[in-house]
Parts: sequence; structure tokens; C-alpha cells
Amino acid sequence: MTAAEQSFAGQLERAAGVEWRPAGEPAFVCAIRAAGREAFLRAKLPTLKNEDWKYTSLAGLSAVVFEPAPRARVTTAELPPAPRLVFVNGRLDPDASDLAGLGAGVRMGSLAVALRDRPAAVEPFLGMLAGASEAFAALNAGLFEDGALVELADGAQPSPTLHLVFLSAAATPVATHPRNLIVAGKGSRATIVEHYRGEGSYLVNAVTELALSEGAQVEHDRVQEDAPQAFHVGLLQIRQGAASRLTGQSIALGAQLARVEARALLAAEEATCDLNGLYVGGGRQVLDHFVHVDHASPRCTSREVFKGILDGASRGVFAGRVRVREGAQKTDAGQVSSTLLLSEDATVDTKPQLEILADDVKCSHGGAVGQLREDQLFYLRSRGLSAALARALLTWAFASEMVQRVGPEELRARVRRAVTARLPDGELLREVA
Amino acid sequence: MRETERTMLSIQGLHAKVAEKEILHGLDLEVRAGELHAIMGPNGSGKSTLAGVLAGRDTYRVTAGRVTLDGEDLLALTPEKRAAKGVFLAFQYPVEIPGVANMYFLRTALNSLRKARGEEPLDAIDFLGLAHEKMKLVKMDPSFANRGVNEGFSGGEKKRNEIVQMAVLEPRLAILDEIDSGLDIDALRVVADGVNALRSPTRAMIVVTHYQRLLDYIRPDHVHVMVNGRIVTSGGPELALELEKKGYGWIEKEPPARVAAEARL
Repeated sequence: MTAAEQSFAGQLERAAGVEWRPAGEPAFVCAIRAAGREAFLRAKLPTLKNEDWKYTSLAGLSAVVFEPAPRARVTTAELPPAPRLVFVNGRLDPDASDLAGLGAGVRMGSLAVALRDRPAAVEPFLGMLAGASEAFAALNAGLFEDGALVELADGAQPSPTLHLVFLSAAATPVATHPRNLIVAGKGSRATIVEHYRGEGSYLVNAVTELALSEGAQVEHDRVQEDAPQAFHVGLLQIRQGAASRLTGQSIALGAQLARVEARALLAAEEATCDLNGLYVGGGRQVLDHFVHVDHASPRCTSREVFKGILDGASRGVFAGRVRVREGAQKTDAGQVSSTLLLSEDATVDTKPQLEILADDVKCSHGGAVGQLREDQLFYLRSRGLSAALARALLTWAFASEMVQRVGPEELRARVRRAVTARLPDGELLREVA
Repeated sequence: MRETERTMLSIQGLHAKVAEKEILHGLDLEVRAGELHAIMGPNGSGKSTLAGVLAGRDTYRVTAGRVTLDGEDLLALTPEKRAAKGVFLAFQYPVEIPGVANMYFLRTALNSLRKARGEEPLDAIDFLGLAHEKMKLVKMDPSFANRGVNEGFSGGEKKRNEIVQMAVLEPRLAILDEIDSGLDIDALRVVADGVNALRSPTRAMIVVTHYQRLLDYIRPDHVHVMVNGRIVTSGGPELALELEKKGYGWIEKEPPARVAAEARL
């Protein structure tokens, strides 16, 4: 076993004894944890031999001994507006959280508290979506302490954006395993943001389960700005009911290695799923997206648009898997992956995979890998822009389409600043509109 | 000496290559402030190469010769420094840049030039006032202000956009590369009116065109005919009319003496 596997195995064994855990977790949670523990100990961390991990090496992560994260408080004043839940090292910080303006028909709070006080509300959903077969999801099931539970009643349409903030802070390597559950009732509508930030050396291994009932419409924005030394693994597991609509944005900027998986099950007719992503890498960063859309019902639509900007010796991975099950006629599925390489040493691997078992479907995939265009650079320079500013502006132009897809205005502005700050000579773009 | 009498642009013995192919074979040209020079010639004669070399496009390699602007070596400067010195190229094929708003781009360009000249930047409000005034010059719809640079513009709209940029950036030397290509007669008239409105005693223009038609609307002071990478004959506006009648075959067969050019030297 690697150092990381040994440290996780030890924590899983200790957790099985439950001495350090609040006594009396419901039986279904104990079962989820046991299944997670067994699956992780059996599978261990994936290697390049695993088809779904063939482009992303975990050698760096495997060499680290991760301790459970200590309790910590928020030190940064920079938090999004209410309503917000703030988690620090995987645990809710009630002082930093603020549920003002939440509105009728919406509940938002600690999953751990809900598991203690009203487990029946959670049982139908938790772990039903995110199976524990994959190593990181299994690890999360075995070790999660807390996370957000967001419940939208039928027809609830909260106007404010619901913010979930996950902060990590550690002097020595620690691992946290936030576990979130979002349940959107029939015809409900909401915008939910997950924001990851931190300082120091850590692994954040987050799982979010998202269940959309009939006609629900959810925008889910996931912004990852973890610390440069951090490892980030995230799973977004989605199940959509009839005529529901999910729009997901994954903005991946931070961490030395980040892997985000989105798995959507289109379980009933006329569901629509848009999963988009923007990743901006530099140095030796590895930014990996794995998207799996499962068309299990007729007349569903899915779109994936992913864009990457890679500088230095960074690496990007985009794997988009679309499965159209037998009988899922009139499926309309499309994916596009485009990458801008700013240096000779930056690389990207893209892997579209289509598995189609129905005959009346429309499926497409496309994309391009390229550099900045010489004719555009010259056009800008001929008008007086410096070469650096011209490059920065064209790089921003490539990214801006994805930033525009972020719905909440205040978040979009923040993402715009965060993206431009990571672009070469991005400080020249202060005034970018 | 009055401003209008001084040579602004001087090109001597200019040779340039694209890839390994030599396109310009020793080209000479003198342009003074206030003058408008038309450069005509058949396809492949090197007209657009000349325009690109003057603006500093690095796909062209200058192998011999000298180009000065106000006595300064132009070829040693980057494209952006040339722009700061007042060189402007209106592109034959203006480039589309999705994701960069047209007016944001133009304000960035203007403020880059102002910065290079040690001037204060123009704020967004002042700039928009200026830009809208200049857009009227070529009857450009205000909705084009916030679209991506040339994104989805028709051929005519792209050419108008080049003239708007020229009007805002106020170059000393404007090179208009086939500004007439792809324009119907109404659009041609609008673009030509815009160009004429920008003529000034302190500004020189080089108008590159394949057709005499443009010169019905933009009256040149001098007409040069380029064949095979050199200027083979020069004259007044009447030379353009003669070309229109006789075609470029006439020049290629029996180039007339460079009367006008000689007389000026």
C-alpha cells in the first residue's frame, strides 16, 4: 500500500470502531460507511491502469500521509453574501454561516445535524446516487463528517443564490471529505454555488449528490480555487426526473491536482442536462474532468462544453462519456472540448466516448486543441496593443464565453477576477468588461 | 519647410519574402504629409505584401532596403510601436475576434497609443462619446459597439469598422488595403466618404486597390502601378483612368516611363 492508502486505511479502521464519532449514527449511515470502507480497502487508489484514470497519475498524492483535519475557524473575511453555509476543514462553522433571506420552502443546513435529528428525510437519498464503488467516493462514504443538506420543497423558488463554501487550512497534510446532498422538489428552482478555497497542503475529497424531481430547474456552479499545494477530488452525482433541467458549471483554477467527475443519470423523459467547464492551469498543475451522462429515458438532451487554458508544463484531461440506453429514443447529446495551449510543454488529453444502444438518436462530439492565432495577435498589435496585452486579451476572450455562463452576477465577477488573475499578464486586463 | 512638403514615408529598394518566395523586388516610394497615394496592380503584384510589411506583419521578411517614417527606421519597430508612431493598416480581411467587445477593443487600442505617447487614458464615458460620433461617420449601427470584434459582421460592416477605428485612432499614415473589396456601390460610397472626411494636411494615406472604381470616390494625388513586386510607373489620377481602359496587360507589356515619379525627385 502507498503512504496515502495506509493513512486512509488506518482512519477507516478507527472509524469502524466509531469511538470518536457521535454515537448512534442511523443504521443506513453505518451501512454506507461499511460499504465505503470495504470498497476502498478492496480497490485502493486508482492507478494509470484504471481506464478512467489513464491520463492522471496519483503518484504525488499517493506519497503523502494524510491526517484527519483538525478543527479550525474561518480566518478570511471574504465570504459570499447570505444565505451561505461555511465549512472549515469539513465541519460546519455556524458563526461564519448565515441563513438570512433564505425564503420559504428552502432548508439549508448541516447534513450531520440532519442525520442526527431527522434521518428519515435523508435516508431516501444519501448514498443512493453516489455508489461507493469508486475509490474516492468510497473513501468519502467511510470518512465524511459533515456537509450541506439543501432541500427545496415542491415549487420552491428562492431568489437568492445559495452559497456553500468549503475552506481548508492545514500546516501538515490533512484530508477532508465533505458530503453534500441537494434535493430539489417538483417544479422547484434554485442556483447553488459550491466554492472551494484553502491554504496549505491538503486533500479535499468532496461528494455532492443532487436529486432533481420532475420539472425542477437547478443551476449548480462549482468554483475550485484551492491552494497551490492542494489535491482536489470532487464527484457530482446527479439524478434527474422528467422535464427537469440542470445547468452545471465547473470552474477549475486551483490545486496541484484536481479531478472533478460529474455523473448524470437522465432517469425520466425530457430531462435536460448542460454540464460546462473551464479550467485554467499553469506550472505543473493537472486539471482533470470526467463527465458521464447516462441517457436512460427517451427525449432527453445533454450538452457538454469544456474549455481549457494551459500554460507552463500543466496538463489537462477531458473525458466525456455518453451512454444512450436501449429505448432512450430521440436522445440529443452533444459535447465539445476546446483547449488553448499557451506553451510548448502544456498538454491535454481528450477522450470522447459514445456508447449508443438506441437507433433514433442525435449524438455529436467535437473540439479543437490550438494556440493563439497569429492573425488575431497581429490585428491587435497593429492597433497599438502590446504583444503581452494582445495575448492576454485573446486568452481571456477564449475563456470569457464560459465565465458568461455563470448565472449569479456577483459570482460571475468573482470568477472573472479569479480567471484573469491566473492568465499570463492577466493583470493587464483589469478593466476587462 | 512646411509640414506638407516634408517626406513622411520613404521606401528605398525594398525587398521582402513570404516563406522562401520573394514578393517585393526593390520597391521605391516617397509619401509626403497631406498626400493620398493610390497603389494599383494586378493580383499577385505584391500590393498587400507592401501593406503588411509597412504595418510590421512578421510573416513577411524584409531582405533588403530601407523604410523610414519621419526619418526613423520603421522596420526596426514592433507593430505596436509603429501604431504609436501613427501607422494604421485597414485590413483587406479584418480579423474576427469573438469574445472581445468591439468598443472595449478600440478603447484599449486608443489608450495603448495614448500611453505610448505619454498621454492620459480616456475613460469609458468620454471614449463612448468619441466612438459614437465616429461611428456616425460611416453610418454604423450603434449595436455593433458591443458585439465581438468583427464577429459575424458582413464584408461591408467589417470595412466600416476599419474606418471607425481609423477615425478614433487618428493615424498619421493610413494604409488602406483593398478597402473596396467585397463592397456594393452604396457601401463603397459610405466607406469612401468616411475616408475623405479623414483626409488632412498632416495625414498621409496609401490606398491599395485592384480597381479604378474606388478612385472615382477617393481622388488620389498620385497613382502608382505595381507589377511583380515593384512600382513600374507613376502618374496622376489620369493614369488610373488609362489603366481602366487598357487593362494591366498594357503595363506589363510596355511599361511607360516613370514621368511623374522622376519629376518629383
